[in-house]
Amino acid sequence: MKTAVPAKSVGVRQPLVDGVEKVTGAARYTADLAPRGALFGAILRSPLPHARIRGIDVARARAMPGVRAVVTGEDCALPYGVIPIAQNEFPLARGKVRYRGEPVAAVAADDAATAQAALDAIELDLDPLPAYFDAASARAEGATLLHDDKRGNLERTVEQDFGDVDAGFAAAALVRERSFHYAEVHHAMMEPNATLAQWDAERGRLTLHSVTQVPYYLHLALARCLGLDASAIRVIKPCVGGGFGHRTETLNFEIVAAMLARAAGGTVRLELSREETFITHRGRPETDVRLKIGLAGNGEITAVEAEVVQRGGAYAGYGLVTILYAGALIHALYRVPASRYRGFRVYANTPPNGAMRGHGTVDVRHAFEALLDEMAVELGLDPFAVRRANLLTAPHRTINDLQVNSYGLAACLDAVEERSGWKTRKGRLARGRGLGMACSHYVSGSAKPVYWTGEPHAVIHLKLDFDCGVTVLTGASDIGQGSTTLIQQAVAEVLKLPMSRFSVVANDSTVTPKDNGSYSSRVSFMVGNAAIRAAEDLKRMLVAAAARRLEVTPDDIEWEGETCRVAGTDRELAYPEVVAEALKDAGTLNARGAWSTPPETQGGSFRGAAVGTSAGFSYAALVVEVEVDEDTGEVRVIDVWVAHDCGRAINPLSVEGQVQGSVWMGMGQALGEETEYGGGGLPLRANFLDYRFPTIAESPPIDVTIVEAPDPNGPFGAKEAGEGSLSAFLPALTSAIADAIGLRLFELPATPDRVYDAIVARRRAERVRRAVKAASQEAD
Amino acid sequence: MERMAAFELRRPESLAHAIELMATVPGARVLAGGTDLVPNLRHGLEAPATLVDLSGVPGFAGLDLTPAGARIGAGVTLATLAADRLVQAALPAVAQAAASIAGPGHRSVATVGGNLCLDTRCVWYNQSEWWRRSNGYCLKRGGDVCHVAPQGGRCHAAFCGDLAPALIACGAQAELAGPEGSRTIAVEDLYRDDGRAHLALGSGEIVVAVVVPPQPARARSAYRKARVRAAIDFPLAGVAVRVTGDRERIERLDVALTGTNSRPFRLAETEAFAGRAVDDALVAELGKAVQRQAGPMRTSVTSSNWRRQVAATYAQRLVRELAATP
Amino acid sequence: MNKRLLSLTVNGRRREEAVADATLLLDFLRETLGLTGTKRGCDGGECGACTVLVDGAPRLSCLTLAARCEGTKVETIESLAEGGRMSALQAAFHEKLGAQCGFCTPGMVMAAEALLRTDPSPGEDAIRAALAGNLCRCTGYVKIIEAVDSAARGAR
Repeated sequence: MKTAVPAKSVGVRQPLVDGVEKVTGAARYTADLAPRGALFGAILRSPLPHARIRGIDVARARAMPGVRAVVTGEDCALPYGVIPIAQNEFPLARGKVRYRGEPVAAVAADDAATAQAALDAIELDLDPLPAYFDAASARAEGATLLHDDKRGNLERTVEQDFGDVDAGFAAAALVRERSFHYAEVHHAMMEPNATLAQWDAERGRLTLHSVTQVPYYLHLALARCLGLDASAIRVIKPCVGGGFGHRTETLNFEIVAAMLARAAGGTVRLELSREETFITHRGRPETDVRLKIGLAGNGEITAVEAEVVQRGGAYAGYGLVTILYAGALIHALYRVPASRYRGFRVYANTPPNGAMRGHGTVDVRHAFEALLDEMAVELGLDPFAVRRANLLTAPHRTINDLQVNSYGLAACLDAVEERSGWKTRKGRLARGRGLGMACSHYVSGSAKPVYWTGEPHAVIHLKLDFDCGVTVLTGASDIGQGSTTLIQQAVAEVLKLPMSRFSVVANDSTVTPKDNGSYSSRVSFMVGNAAIRAAEDLKRMLVAAAARRLEVTPDDIEWEGETCRVAGTDRELAYPEVVAEALKDAGTLNARGAWSTPPETQGGSFRGAAVGTSAGFSYAALVVEVEVDEDTGEVRVIDVWVAHDCGRAINPLSVEGQVQGSVWMGMGQALGEETEYGGGGLPLRANFLDYRFPTIAESPPIDVTIVEAPDPNGPFGAKEAGEGSLSAFLPALTSAIADAIGLRLFELPATPDRVYDAIVARRRAERVRRAVKAASQEAD
Repeated sequence: MERMAAFELRRPESLAHAIELMATVPGARVLAGGTDLVPNLRHGLEAPATLVDLSGVPGFAGLDLTPAGARIGAGVTLATLAADRLVQAALPAVAQAAASIAGPGHRSVATVGGNLCLDTRCVWYNQSEWWRRSNGYCLKRGGDVCHVAPQGGRCHAAFCGDLAPALIACGAQAELAGPEGSRTIAVEDLYRDDGRAHLALGSGEIVVAVVVPPQPARARSAYRKARVRAAIDFPLAGVAVRVTGDRERIERLDVALTGTNSRPFRLAETEAFAGRAVDDALVAELGKAVQRQAGPMRTSVTSSNWRRQVAATYAQRLVRELAATP
Repeated sequence: MNKRLLSLTVNGRRREEAVADATLLLDFLRETLGLTGTKRGCDGGECGACTVLVDGAPRLSCLTLAARCEGTKVETIESLAEGGRMSALQAAFHEKLGAQCGFCTPGMVMAAEALLRTDPSPGEDAIRAALAGNLCRCTGYVKIIEAVDSAARGAR
């Protein structure tokens, strides 16, 4: 008998298992699935930013030939929202509209032109109300409330104090305070929003394909808003063209498509334009940060005080989580002995904000790292040294009860310092060139799920049949990050079988186990762990079968994947023989694995303590080299070096891709991306010409070093790789600009006009200073 | 599926037929590459009943470079123009401008005539039907207020074609044909300073070709555009410069701008620079002249002040660089 | 609505279909022919996801009227694989992780295909220039450049 080498799948540069379909055009996304004859859905959107709805007359639209359904807010009276305690959004507005572009009615028609004509025939009677497009005016005394139950238009106020902050500042050698402003940014995933809804009128059942990151949330929201039993709904997530957080929450159009399909008694394709996709928004909010840090003479942090104001848009969405994240993850990157946090999440008449890659942490991390960099200079410390003065030692419990069990930041710092040539190049570049560095971190899944049902965080099912193939059943949503590949690798690694023995079926609610979805970088960590356990479960069954066949105890079996043998002998069985034995009497085998976060990682007991908790934190350090044109304010990124501690790289190819993608997305936010509302809340940049995320032409090389500080809770020691390095880019960039031309920016993005204005303002200030000095010398 | 209003596509096979269609079919609109017109149709900015497709007109895409000058057919694609070695050598500003436009998928079909006749652009205009309706439309289409300057009474939409300044700086002429016959005018005279009606074409008149005279022996030209990204974007400001002479003494200076006003324009009063050395004083004066004559308004999401400043800086740099080039 | 009989070659197959004058090539490919590999990513000419080849040149099918493609040879992402096997360029995108979510990939691959046909040995600058009209939101473009470079080197 030929002895096969046990297959190795973890640590292998594994191309995506669904990659062939993506490069050949065979991969099917939601808009690719519409059957011939499907009705065309279209949404009528509010022309006003804030108004009372006096009436919506749909009679003319409904009477038009070819129109099969018209729905309005009258057709759904139950609000939805991702956070069970903060549900205040309707799929179609009821009573009031609160932002320009909010859906108010929808139609399904035989063709797109008829659908459009029907929208034009709907008459809206709106009574305008005062509208607010920034946090300050929304919070102002006497401002009209967007939601009657939220005074001061404050969705959530957070007050969190840990340690003795005043004593910390008193003991500091240097205390500095700065204010920062960050523009709102949007996910801009390449696939526009789309849903295909099929209503089986005979059976009262709904089948829905959509672009979701969390089919489970969508399933719950559909059941709630349509008043259906959850078992009458089937949710399928086909290929999804990116999400970055946009698609974590259930989105209005998904429910609207279902409402239309039911009203029309058929199948409705609802495909949003790019503009509508922008208006659906859920991105990172416009944010103001006031930050104060105290440092000892050696650079050790003595205290931190932060005030964060987020303009959260018109509905709650994820808002309270975002404002809690902003405070919570001040911690767990460095040792912070005392902190005071004040967070204000404000309603305004703009599209609702939500989760976006690096949820809640990115803007505050910029402020923190930028101020640390400025203070390091003042203390005469190298930026690397000030970080090294504040490193944690794992295991470490932060003062806000976050549990850090693995910590590779020191190795990340060493790596980028060396790769970038920092020691020999920093401070020696020509004027206009600069180097900057910063650090960041992120959670590998929130340790507490949104729906606290008592179920495990993640479940994987395996099916093994006569063909010896293993089917992995998962509800984890691959939206391009490669989670399907990773799950297959994890299962294959445990069973020591080649990847070709496996196939993955994902995201069909009638087939696959429920999963909490793709958000907060939870899938690798949580579903990875569940996959290992499922594979171990299956392996136990197979080993038992082999032992039975070889007439030994399971402990005597050495499992080598394609073969197994009795330890210390040459008695072997081939894998197919083991499978045949295992299926005797039992038939098709089903194995399962589940995983939940350990209780000690689930945080403290104070209000909001769950947000920011994680069973494993990733770490990153990053160096940027820039060239700044002092005459025009143009900033060019020349090189990026990043080191990311992902615990263990289950798929190094994917880790590199994820780190590059997230660093680059941070670059987009740092250099040019911003939404903007003008003319009373109209989105000025709801297209890819004005929402300027980088093209290939100006995108730099990104050198990735993978650091592996294995986490005791992580699958094979792994932690997340797709978010943690994003936020380091922004402060590294502004520090590099400071290094290049001595100018510190307190507002992002660093578009050429902003940088130019800052340069001009500095020149003016210098002129004034010189004039004052000259005048005072004259006076002497 | 796209919700674009229906129209009839006509594909004339001669220039005469094209002109006849333009003259006789009500609401007829010329279609060249379509990379500007089709997005505008998709946004509902225009709804012509008939499109007259010029791609089948013989000779329309001819490109001839001889010592007697260049004749560039209006149907020559930007890709062809950018890649032509003779154009690159004789008219570098033109080749650079062509290469800087949008992306390869646009340039392979977008034409010289189309880029010269690009519609003007404005953040209040290049939006969807829903958007513009919600905003009460604007002076350029459907409304009576220019949201850029509500008190004004004129449309400030900016011309954002890249080729025009390069051609103007190189002294190009445009050959036009229409129901009234043919005529040839300077490229800068193709435009009016009115964002709503920026083309000085007669009814049914078509740009047939661009003719560029032989460049002076000691002339060098270049084009540079300001934008946030290094590709795709329209110019926030674009500057073409032709320097005749050298650093010690320039015989002639031609500067033309785009992206800052409702028309591309030749910088006035550059005669004052003739016979002078390219020194700090000249460069400073040039910068002031650009700042004075460029009039960017809040038509884009990028500040108009920056667009004005960067136009001046680019003009200054190009003059220095070209004067220093042997 | 004015319709005409359009005859052209799509992925090597002769096609004759009635199309309205206002039909975009993108919709013709996706809706009429069922070739859904070509993607719609924006509201017109801003992202490159719909890039196909028309007579060998990269074209944005979302800006192209189908009726103007009379007599042309149109190639979409579905045409590159031969006998069900990926082309060298597709294999490079797959193996180098040039595709993550995959939505920009068909357009990106077709733009790269156009490049490699005219310039089989492009340097990095030429790769960047050829793909400059194709936006990607996942990769930061690093591995896309690697993929095109690797395909070109492999072919040499």
